[in-house]
Amino acid sequence: MPSLYEGFQYDPERERQSAAKVKALESLLIEKGIITGNTVDNILSYFDTQMGPFNGAKLVARAWVDPEFKELLVNDCNAACNEMDFPAGMSGAEGEHMRVAENTPDVHNVIVCTLCSCYPWPTLGLPPYWYKDPTFRARTAREPRTVLKEFGVELDDSVEVRVWDTSGQIRWWVLPMRPEGTEGMSEAQLASLLTPEAMMGVALPKAA
Amino acid sequence: MKLQHNLGGLENLGPINFETEVFVEPWEKRIFGIHTAMMALSNHLNESPPQYEIEKVPTEFNSFWTWGHLRMGAEGMHPFEYFRLRYYEKWLGGISGFFVEEGYITQEELDARTAEILADDGKATAPLPQGGDPAIDTQVEKYLREGDSPQRSTAIEPKFKVGDRVRIKDMPPADHTRLPGHLRDRVGVVDKVYEGVYTYFFKTADGIGVPMPIYSLCFQPDAMWNESLLDPKAIYYNDIFEVYIEAA
Repeated sequence: MPSLYEGFQYDPERERQSAAKVKALESLLIEKGIITGNTVDNILSYFDTQMGPFNGAKLVARAWVDPEFKELLVNDCNAACNEMDFPAGMSGAEGEHMRVAENTPDVHNVIVCTLCSCYPWPTLGLPPYWYKDPTFRARTAREPRTVLKEFGVELDDSVEVRVWDTSGQIRWWVLPMRPEGTEGMSEAQLASLLTPEAMMGVALPKAA
Repeated sequence: MKLQHNLGGLENLGPINFETEVFVEPWEKRIFGIHTAMMALSNHLNESPPQYEIEKVPTEFNSFWTWGHLRMGAEGMHPFEYFRLRYYEKWLGGISGFFVEEGYITQEELDARTAEILADDGKATAPLPQGGDPAIDTQVEKYLREGDSPQRSTAIEPKFKVGDRVRIKDMPPADHTRLPGHLRDRVGVVDKVYEGVYTYFFKTADGIGVPMPIYSLCFQPDAMWNESLLDPKAIYYNDIFEVYIEAA
């Protein structure tokens, strides 16, 4: 359940109804020539294999080992994507205008979309449920430090928290700091330490 | 103003559910895919910078469908209903309603097909129909890879520069807006002037949908909230269309 409010606990029949309705809709759309029998599967496969948080993780790992690349990433995310061996489409749907906010010892960033669920698809994939939860969206605008604590991110009082609310066409995400204990790791090893949450600002990557 | 335009700062909501899955029920994947296909086949794409030849795509879909339409539907809901329904439940209601309103399907055939599936487990687990013109899927993939950038090449000088103090206008509520309610009448400082000018999928009653600059504004917390509500050292940034702001 995406909301923890008790009044929103669901009757299991509700899921069965929705599943039947969407299947009825998709089958009608295929029969009527609006989409094909492959359209939805192809789209889902695109996000499983081509555009997902595995791309963002590679960008962060490269930025951690290459200071020049890090400068490019924080100044022009789309240009940085072009330097990588990624599939075509990094400036495609929901990635047309991406920006990266860099965490430092003094500044911690978190993204939110208070109006809907804007998200950089090519680098982070599709948004997790908590990001779409109205409770997260409402609270992060005003009490980000408290929200981060609930997510398990304890920040020193000296650290400034910056909230990036994407109401106008830019898609933000977060470059976390390289964790301690990762000296000598390869880019691939570093990339494996990253989660979508770390690149949204609600988790800190840790050396495994 | 509608509650769904004014979520920022709402109090007493309790804890966040830290559900990290993108989809919590398998059916949600299907409605996500249908929505994405509709955006990829929308008849406005011939005007998008990638210059899609959308009229040549052999789909029966010939409607204008974007994020803006999906959002406008969610913003048009009864606010309590908006909270009661889960994210993709809102999508399923809005999208199936759109196909009925546009005449692609009737409510009766959708209800009858749904009832058949509910009544027969065999139909619930049966494969979907196959076939269709592969050129439809070629366009869908092209859209995913090339997008629908709102940036335009019109030369428009931004009215504000980095460091300017600006006030968010208190615009009349619209069917659809990109102005978060919690910012109305607040004063912020221009932190970035984004390069270029940006339009929106369509013109809204509150003035977006023509090319204009967008800005990142920085708000000190005490300019937004009562002092007793503040988290220390928390700065809020918002990306905003120029039409929503004026000199402070």
